[in-house]
Amino acid sequence: MADAKQSGTVRCVVVTPESTSLDTQARSVTLPLYDGLRGVGRGHSPFIGRLGAGEVRIVGEQGGPADAVRRLFVEGGFVEVSHDAVTVITQRAIAAERIDAAAARADLARIIGTRAAGDEAIEAKEQAAQVARALVRTAGGR
Amino acid sequence: MAKARALDRRRKSVKNIRKITRTMELIATARFKKAMDRSVAARDYTKHLAKILENIASVGANVAHPLLEIRPTKRTAVLVLTGNRGLCGGYNSNVVRQSVALLGQWKSEQVPAHVSVSGKRGISALKFRGVDVAERYMQFEDKPEFAAVFPIGRAYLDAYSAGEIDRLDVVYTRFASIAKQEAVTETLLPLAPPQAASAGAKAKLASDEYDFYPSAGSILEEILPASFLSRLFKCFLDAAVSEQVARMVAMKAATENAGGLIKSLSRQYNRARQSQITGEIMEILGGVEALKK
Repeated sequence: MADAKQSGTVRCVVVTPESTSLDTQARSVTLPLYDGLRGVGRGHSPFIGRLGAGEVRIVGEQGGPADAVRRLFVEGGFVEVSHDAVTVITQRAIAAERIDAAAARADLARIIGTRAAGDEAIEAKEQAAQVARALVRTAGGR
Repeated sequence: MAKARALDRRRKSVKNIRKITRTMELIATARFKKAMDRSVAARDYTKHLAKILENIASVGANVAHPLLEIRPTKRTAVLVLTGNRGLCGGYNSNVVRQSVALLGQWKSEQVPAHVSVSGKRGISALKFRGVDVAERYMQFEDKPEFAAVFPIGRAYLDAYSAGEIDRLDVVYTRFASIAKQEAVTETLLPLAPPQAASAGAKAKLASDEYDFYPSAGSILEEILPASFLSRLFKCFLDAAVSEQVARMVAMKAATENAGGLIKSLSRQYNRARQSQITGEIMEILGGVEALKK
């Protein structure tokens, strides 16, 4: 904790059902909450939030250049911010550079192309399209 | 000569079997270590979910959710986790026995049960006992993946909220320690209500400072299915670890057994060979005596 204080970093942990896929110190973390992005730096007040599908950006990881950005795609889940630690709890986390952009785009086209009848099916389709769109966006690097 | 040769042949075949069982033991050991690592790595997720749930419960949010509601059981679902392969001691039969007992109980209470089975062994054993297996899964080996368990769990959640099932029991082999694995029946639905921070004031203080986005209730709504899925996934992981341990133990016993058998066969073979030699000497001596006369 003491060295974290000196360097002004937060600890960022990404946990999936299969493993802890990332545990690092960084200057700040941008999280895709259910209703928009939220940045968390050192000294942020504690909160628990719901995540949407989108990109987690980890800026200025320890041991790398100050403006280096590590990007991860997460599909929903939760985030817990406390004591200068950000814990992302998600069902699926993929490093942005490991996303197959072509497959993601094809997936999105397929989802948009399917027909949905009934409120529930339409809602499910919308959700799936949202996830696919977020994946494509993350793969695109924007 | 015939007896000694037959014994020798048997000894050779037992030696080959010992080689195979020894290899299987080594493979099971390696797989067990990998499965164990996966199981340990998966614990973090459950731990964090439980922490959030605890926080929500101790904030005093209204913890009412369809998944927590205990309804009278009119229709139930049973998921049985066995292995695809045998040669692992009582691993499969213990689970099958447990599930047959459970199904018998539901039958006597006249509750229809929707039975799903993972693993070829369990499927054929239950079919043999005349159980109607609705769903069969054979894709789970020693490394179950969350992505593969997810649709199964999702289907149960949907069925539960649609009122198609009122309860879900999973019969699997729980991994307590390397020396102890037992076939158990665990009720996953309805979920056990989250425990409010029991450790008293300290946990309470820690939870008071959290803000919830969008609200504690909305997070609860999302987190309960996630917590169910992670518990279901843990059942699959436990079953995989237990299977490898069971195979390891069974193959170790088989290897040792084969060693004992080889020893006793060698002794018999030596004795047979010796008596054969003695017999031949006697014949020669007899011949010599006859010539003398």
